[in-house]
Amino acid sequence: MSATPSLGTDAPRGVRPSKPPPPPFALWGGIGFVLLTIGFSWDWTYGIGFSIPDLISNFTLDPARNPIVAGVIDPVWETMTRPAVIEGFIETFQLAAIATILGGIVGLPLALLNSLTGAPNKTVYILVKNFNSFIRAIPDLIYAVFFVAAIGRGALPGVLALFFLSVAVIAKLTADIVDGIDQGPIESARASGASHVQMVKTAVIPQILPGYTSFALYTFEINLRGSAVLGFVGAGGIGTIFSNYYQRGWYDRLVVVVIGFFIVVFIVDRISIAVRKRLL
Amino acid sequence: MSARMTDAEARERMDEITRPEKPFNRFRWTITVALLVLFFGTSLTVDISPSALLALPERTLFYLGLMFLPPDLSEVGRSFNAMVQSLGMAWIGTIIGAVLSFPLAFLAATNLASKPVVFAARQILNFFRAVPEIVFLILLLPITGLTPVTVALALGISSIGTLGKLSAEVIESIDPGPVEAAAATGGGRLQRIRWAVVPQVIPEIVALWLYRFEINIRNSAVAGAVGAGGIGTLLVREIQLLRNWATAGTALAVMVIVTLIVDTISGRVRRRIIRGPQRPVDIGADTLPPDADRDAGPDLPNDPGEAGPRTFAPI
Repeated sequence: MSATPSLGTDAPRGVRPSKPPPPPFALWGGIGFVLLTIGFSWDWTYGIGFSIPDLISNFTLDPARNPIVAGVIDPVWETMTRPAVIEGFIETFQLAAIATILGGIVGLPLALLNSLTGAPNKTVYILVKNFNSFIRAIPDLIYAVFFVAAIGRGALPGVLALFFLSVAVIAKLTADIVDGIDQGPIESARASGASHVQMVKTAVIPQILPGYTSFALYTFEINLRGSAVLGFVGAGGIGTIFSNYYQRGWYDRLVVVVIGFFIVVFIVDRISIAVRKRLL
Repeated sequence: MSARMTDAEARERMDEITRPEKPFNRFRWTITVALLVLFFGTSLTVDISPSALLALPERTLFYLGLMFLPPDLSEVGRSFNAMVQSLGMAWIGTIIGAVLSFPLAFLAATNLASKPVVFAARQILNFFRAVPEIVFLILLLPITGLTPVTVALALGISSIGTLGKLSAEVIESIDPGPVEAAAATGGGRLQRIRWAVVPQVIPEIVALWLYRFEINIRNSAVAGAVGAGGIGTLLVREIQLLRNWATAGTALAVMVIVTLIVDTISGRVRRRIIRGPQRPVDIGADTLPPDADRDAGPDLPNDPGEAGPRTFAPI
């Protein structure tokens, strides 16, 4: 081989090796993606009738035809100080706080048992894992509508809906860190004769505590956001106001409450992220 | 001192030994007190009547009985169709979110964009993360109407925040080697991203999209709040309006089963995308002649290869 051939002159140009064919997984994945996308966007029983030209032709910024634009141009700022709105915000905080704390208490054991490290045996592990998946498969709005119908409107169904949401989130995220903890402390706890509960208490919990606390705070953020939908089925919180103004078409007020809600969530997010950084 | 201790002496010495006192942890203490105050403060002031709380277990069991005993199988077909429509909203919504978040993720990655750009992009992502689906939904309704398409749009827009943030984190964790190599061969900024960054991050970002699809399936129930179609609307109607508990039970069962099946499939595909096939993959290296990397000069295509088996913990 000659030392440093002058590139571009005697090196054969234009003989790129042919691209290898895509692996079967990528090929079938691509075909599946295209078929599903066409099927789901088609306008038939199993599709939603998604068409970009329709969207473009429907889109308008004319205030006469788009009430949101009209609302943004001329918002009713006094809405923020209305007692019902303030109560809605307070109730949202209450729902989120209670649900997060209760969810955190119930979610921790469920997370521990959802891992082969924390569960006493395989049967418990499989049972709890499936139970957690089941809880996670039902959206908070459905919990809310069930409990509203069962026990009446108010804050209680809202708390219950967010409670299940919190349990699902905390159990899922914490279980993931339980699986990834350092096995050393567990072995030394077992070697010194600890029972299963003692082992979990001294070797597992201290390792997952920072992550768990961080996820609990994150769950509080999720609950604040989640509370916005509950009011639509009568389960309390700021969603009651959203639902009310939406149904009456008061977009000039709705816009104001949305801005207020955004500011609240944004501030809570910033605080929560700062605390979580301190924790981890 | 005698060599042997009597029992009494031993006990006395045991009593003298004191465990060192636990150090006072102000941070933990503050958090505990704050939590207790928060919990009792909120639960005593919230508008929940004790009688409702007491009736809760009995009523829950009663209505669960109405829903599932006996199961009403005549509505499985209708529930399934509604569920497929929900899957459609989630799928299209995820695609919208993926398309919109992909460029933003590159602007929000500290290793690719300049500081002010990263800051601006992050604030945009934070905005989409802070606003819940239902808000986007009711803000879109007057424009696109009470249809599943509106729900898909709302899901897509609210996916931008999380997808963009997590994708940016993936981009920040890349191996800088290929980028340097692309720069050394004279690649411009876009070429470096196209040939050195995208191939590294695409498996993990596609896995994030799939994960978001699983979340969006659940979030698509938000359509039920306004009646925009799908299984959410069916359930809210049957429970709240028609009080048709048996139908609602069937619909709930269909929703849970389909969600879990899709989760399982999507989880498998995600793991396959991240880890690659179990046997060593043939990336086409042996189709090149042994000296190809020296002979072919600068025209050698930049082979993406495999993004290593990085662990993946989506939030």
